[in-house]
Amino acid sequence: MVLVLTHDDCLSHVTPPGHPEQVARLEAVERGLRGLPMTRGAAAMGDVADVLRCHPQRYVDRLRAAVPDEGWAQVDGDTFLSPGSFDAAMRGVGGICQAVDHVMTDGGRAFVAARPPGHHAERDTAMGFCLFGTVAIGAMRALEVHGLSRVAVLDFDVHHGNGTQDLLWDEARVRFVSSHQMPLYPGSGHRDERGAHGQITNLPLAGGSGGAQMWAAWQPVLDDLRRWQPELIMISAGFDAHRDDPLAGLTWTTADFARLTRAICELADECCAGRVVSSLEGGYDLEALAASVAAHVTELGRQAA
Amino acid sequence: MTDTPAEKPVSGMSFEEAMAALEQVVGQLERGDVALEASIALYERGAALKAHCEAKLKDAEEKVELIRAAEGSAIGTTPVEGM
Repeated sequence: MVLVLTHDDCLSHVTPPGHPEQVARLEAVERGLRGLPMTRGAAAMGDVADVLRCHPQRYVDRLRAAVPDEGWAQVDGDTFLSPGSFDAAMRGVGGICQAVDHVMTDGGRAFVAARPPGHHAERDTAMGFCLFGTVAIGAMRALEVHGLSRVAVLDFDVHHGNGTQDLLWDEARVRFVSSHQMPLYPGSGHRDERGAHGQITNLPLAGGSGGAQMWAAWQPVLDDLRRWQPELIMISAGFDAHRDDPLAGLTWTTADFARLTRAICELADECCAGRVVSSLEGGYDLEALAASVAAHVTELGRQAA
Repeated sequence: MTDTPAEKPVSGMSFEEAMAALEQVVGQLERGDVALEASIALYERGAALKAHCEAKLKDAEEKVELIRAAEGSAIGTTPVEGM
């Protein structure tokens, strides 16, 4: 049974009217999850000690201090803080750490439905709607607390996971793979960005491309990972490569998200007793988001054959 | 949000103007100096510029073909098939 973690605090990260990364996204996710077989849990409040494996204390302090008492504080062209934003982001951190602990202790899979998203946040820079690099923070916890030495982080959000790449650039124990439309925000994610140990793989996809190109890019990488034998697989699950998404131009369908998720789960079944931790990133068309999350969590919830 | 100067309609551009604008768009996207929310709009402008450049090139190619065909008949040669 897949464990799904979220928290009402994540509804208290409020963006200005018209902003695509809106509270309604999490409500759409809830609609998508309705009726699926799963175990529900409340995401714990994050521990700063977990954040500090990826971001310096001064960054945490700066972010906390920037949170406004009312209205919004603007961090960059896209990224806003409301009074509830810090706690919302810390629920994302707590949720991912709790999910890692759960699958390392009890096995199985977990999905963290939190916002703001995380994969654009660099060591010292909040950007692209993101505050903390949640998936990287979870991966570092798996290494440092659970003693793992091979963690795969797979990012299929339509935008390059520049933050995760930045946070894990020197980390030889993590293989990071990102597929993304290029050129598009944030501009990074070229094939020649390989990490300090050649452990990063970037899969740029052409605008307008769909499921066939997605599969052609991912299949050899998954085969390669099978040889590497990860002990845990983490997913940065953005659903903005969907054909209906307003912020990007790929043409994936709900079935494509299901196919890729299923392939990742099969890899996990073969390599690491099925252990997968997935974390919500982007996805801005509410209907497409609801349907894609439903497909993703359904696949996560399937028992190994 | 990144400020963008008032943009000339793509349909009214010469090939050179469209190429220059396209290079600027690709450069902006690759440098990452455009907000996430505006990135797709810029991408779409790039796609329109690319289509415009391609159409202009095709026009030019057709004109070259016509000139070639005209020259060919003027000096009494015929196009060689299957080359």
